[in-house]
Amino acid sequence: MNVTDTRRREVEKQIIDLIVSEVKIDPARITPDATLESLDVQSMDTVMILMAIEEKFGVYVPVDGQIAEAKDVGSFIRSVSDHILSAHG
Amino acid sequence: MADTRARVVVTGMGAATAAGIGVDALWSAARDGRTGVGEVKLSRNGPNRIKIAAQVPDFVPEQYIEPSRLLFCDRFAQLAIAAADEALKSAGLSREEKLGARTAVILGTGVGGITTVDDLLYGEYVQHTRTSPFIVPRTMSSSAVSQISMLYGCTGPTFAVTSACASASQAIGLAATMIRSGAIDRAIVGGSESSMTPMNIRVWELLRVLAPGVCRPFSKNRDGMVMGEGAAILVIESEQSAARRQAMPLAEIAGYGTTSDAFDIVRPDPAGAAGAMAEAIEDAGLLPDDIDYVNAHGTGTVANDIAEAEALRRVFGERYSDLAVSSTKPIHGHTLGAAGAIELVVTIMAMRANTAPPTINWLEADPKCGLDPVANVARDVPIQAAMSNSFAFGGINACLVVVPPR
Repeated sequence: MNVTDTRRREVEKQIIDLIVSEVKIDPARITPDATLESLDVQSMDTVMILMAIEEKFGVYVPVDGQIAEAKDVGSFIRSVSDHILSAHG
Repeated sequence: MADTRARVVVTGMGAATAAGIGVDALWSAARDGRTGVGEVKLSRNGPNRIKIAAQVPDFVPEQYIEPSRLLFCDRFAQLAIAAADEALKSAGLSREEKLGARTAVILGTGVGGITTVDDLLYGEYVQHTRTSPFIVPRTMSSSAVSQISMLYGCTGPTFAVTSACASASQAIGLAATMIRSGAIDRAIVGGSESSMTPMNIRVWELLRVLAPGVCRPFSKNRDGMVMGEGAAILVIESEQSAARRQAMPLAEIAGYGTTSDAFDIVRPDPAGAAGAMAEAIEDAGLLPDDIDYVNAHGTGTVANDIAEAEALRRVFGERYSDLAVSSTKPIHGHTLGAAGAIELVVTIMAMRANTAPPTINWLEADPKCGLDPVANVARDVPIQAAMSNSFAFGGINACLVVVPPR
């Protein structure tokens, strides 16, 4: 595993923690395949999660096509971590 | 059945936008795809991360407003007065003649004097400076209409319309309806907005709708809108009123449609937008096939552009992929409560020039939109009827249809 993969895993773990705390979900339910709909994550929650991400990582993440279209936890986390990693290098 | 309502014509237009002062500056920037977006200049540092906006450059309010009046004018009113002066002059009217009780003043604004509010709170809470006794007349959303009514002696109906990003389109549509009904002969209409404060940019950021880099409506890889400030004012009147004083009409406001989604406070429903467009086209006595150009709401957010594209598809059917539709927001910014007026001026100029202005910054088609946004370069299009769309948070939709004067 290279450094970038390690870094991505760290970031993704932190994003999961933020989702857990912002949306108040049982961490066990947050699996990559879980749909946002099944977790009852609504657009309002997305905005709260992105605000928490900005506070933690200091990165402004707009709702772009990838984030808007993310249907499951895995793709949502991937899209958001792309923003964070590209901002932090 | 013959339409017996009075025709409503535009006899004057004025603008103060990121393109500079004047309709010519606005139209040449829109046509040539020259953006007014730049590094945002704010009166103080604040929490905003987004550092770009479309602001009116080098605006000197003293050129338009005497010092004793300026004390009562927030920047949104200052811009409205500058635009009104140009509009009234081009209509052949002046401050010297009192326009009287048959002239209304109806303008849209989203948030009124929010710059003054920011100054007030900073002064009180942080600097502990003396507070101006004129905060109330500066901040009220009706401040601009009242100032214009006084400057031009308009003693008819005077009020502000506020419906977020549909404000100006609703103001213009409502005034046109009043002229058609015979309630008034003439109206000074349009919209004005200046909300360039660090906190206001911040609160838009928190909705995650501001593009961090470039606003590219209907394009793949778009990620938000760019905020703008500005004002546009139009003088509209009944055809008879214009003829009486031999004023030359620039366009006819032929149709107005407005609907409410009754759905969600921030998410759009294509059904509401489609309904407003269909209503405006029908009100003009036209068919969708008659519309040659649409100046879209086209904010550049993922959600708006997909919903607007779907609404256009429902209204225009098979013509949808060929229809000239563009968003000029990357040029003058999203001016919120002024957007409908600024974009109606662009739409009228486009019709007069038979030129569809471009959607700049466009990269490639977003399959979810799938429309032709007159990408990056203006296009010659014979325009016999054009529509301007405004769709607001809260699900308020307003569309205006213009045709050449008869």
